Amino acid sequence: MAPRDMRDLVDDRPEEGVFRVHRDVFADPELYELERKFVFERTWNFLTIESQVPKPNDFVTCWIARTPVIVTRDPENRVRAFLNVCRHKGAMIAAAEQGNTRYFVCPYHGWAYDCAGRNRDIKDRAAGAYPPSFDAENHDLVALPRIESYKGLVFGSLSPDVPPLEEFLGEMKVFLDLAMEQGPNGMEFVPGRVAYTYRGNWKLQLDNGVDPYHLTSTHVSFIGIQARRRQGEGNLDARQFDWAKRAKRQSGVFCFPHGHSVFWTDQPEAEKRPIYPTIDEVRARVGPVRADWMLRARNIQVFPNMQIADAMTLMLRTFRPIAVDRTEMRSYCLAPIGEKPELRAWRLRQFEDFFNPTGLATPDDTVTYEDCQRGMSADGFSWLQGYARGIAGLAPGANAPAQELGLAPAASAIGTFETGPETQFHPAYREWRRLMAAGFAGRKAY
Amino acid sequence: MARGRNIDEKDLLAAGTDLIEREAVLVDERRWDEWLALFTPDCEYWMPAWKPDDTLTADPSRELSHFYYASRAGLEDRIFRIRSNRSPASTPLPRTTHVITNARAIEPPAPDRMRLRSNWVSHVFFPRSELSHAFFGHVEHTLVLHDTWLIAKKRIVLQNDYIPTMLDIYCV
Repeated sequence: MAPRDMRDLVDDRPEEGVFRVHRDVFADPELYELERKFVFERTWNFLTIESQVPKPNDFVTCWIARTPVIVTRDPENRVRAFLNVCRHKGAMIAAAEQGNTRYFVCPYHGWAYDCAGRNRDIKDRAAGAYPPSFDAENHDLVALPRIESYKGLVFGSLSPDVPPLEEFLGEMKVFLDLAMEQGPNGMEFVPGRVAYTYRGNWKLQLDNGVDPYHLTSTHVSFIGIQARRRQGEGNLDARQFDWAKRAKRQSGVFCFPHGHSVFWTDQPEAEKRPIYPTIDEVRARVGPVRADWMLRARNIQVFPNMQIADAMTLMLRTFRPIAVDRTEMRSYCLAPIGEKPELRAWRLRQFEDFFNPTGLATPDDTVTYEDCQRGMSADGFSWLQGYARGIAGLAPGANAPAQELGLAPAASAIGTFETGPETQFHPAYREWRRLMAAGFAGRKAY
Repeated sequence: MARGRNIDEKDLLAAGTDLIEREAVLVDERRWDEWLALFTPDCEYWMPAWKPDDTLTADPSRELSHFYYASRAGLEDRIFRIRSNRSPASTPLPRTTHVITNARAIEPPAPDRMRLRSNWVSHVFFPRSELSHAFFGHVEHTLVLHDTWLIAKKRIVLQNDYIPTMLDIYCV
């Protein structure tokens, strides 16, 4: 593909109050091929959380775009990450999504590896008449060039040329703390797999996951269900807060470097949150400011492949591009380890109610992504107008809520929930543009 | 005496099978009020999720489910949403055809209570995307005799849990 002028794809002119994204960013198959290489394979990607591999020889499988990855806890108790690929013929050596094993034995010709990635057996090696050149080669699993964790969140990079994870995350660390420090013993994914796909580009989820503006149109039926529940009808076990009270609540945006951003709202009815009964313990541990922020609704994105939503209830989602118009989603109910059973059940009913692809809200999002994808594939228009709300209210640097958390974001905004800002989308497209431009120019990403 | 009991069991199983087949017809024909009326007000409606060890989540208060309702009120939410005409996923409403087979008693039926296991395939046509998908699995019904036989518990096993875009109660 001929290099594209990035200004034709992401029109970012802050001094003029303009931010636009071209539909090709979502719909062009050639750009999609390149973004896997220039974006996903050249920056940090979220892989899993450490509590998924608590014991030596535990493993989980995951992906960085098209690359299958195994995350293990090796016999020396270190979290490791390797390509889930046998060195012999390239077969994936682990088919299960999670497990515990001393050896990964390739199902094809039986080569075996341990959880430290070491090749432990080449079947019938002595009889194999191998030449000296083969013996001189390394046969271990290919380790990911970089793997680092922050607060139990494990990230990996297929490129060695990335900054240290904490530098990449920057002040987003505070918002990861607000999710990962809700329990005194750490956090875990509640068992039960939620996996689904949609026929649309991965950036549709990227935008939607931090988008407040769609809630009162896409989820009108959910709002109607909430109104019925206020009258005592319907599934009261889900204990949703009153959406009608939210419109005028204070709300805001933080934009950070490297594609990360936050949308937050002062949540009505904090007592509907399953951490509320434990908030005294939380406050004593993390301090009053952070405890209050844990009760605020926060939708955050860690570019390019992870979001945490903590409004209806706490959830972590990760997404994997499969094609320009197809995306795989995994969503996880993130919960304090050792949580009381009644609080766990409370959390689960909220999660299922809203976030499941079998729930009352996510299906209305996914079918709408598909509508977008079909529309974006149409010729005859170029720029999407979905990135302008809130621009006039965005200011460089920190505002009062940011200062309260000790943050210095690139930009901040404050308004009400009804402002429905779209400025929190900008960092991701700015970073996408930066990485794509570096790729087209043959430069390193960092 | 033994023969008499066998005949009773056959009649009971016929009544139970009739109910679960009728349930599928009511869903396919979108006769939602009649469908809801098949459930007891305190029914349990549950579709557990799968775990990596190839077992299903076993405790809905500790593990995630695709659906878990401890009463019929959860099903009423669903019907409210379908009828709202404000749910993009439900407008136009996907069309379904359920195929129910292999109904068997899990344990010897009692005159006022029985547990049945049956297989189901639900072919779904999504008008929005013009795509079709077949969800499949089996289901355990616990039926109780009030004035008529009603569903007191329904536990659905979804075998193909890699979900394309969405799944609603009428898809299983």
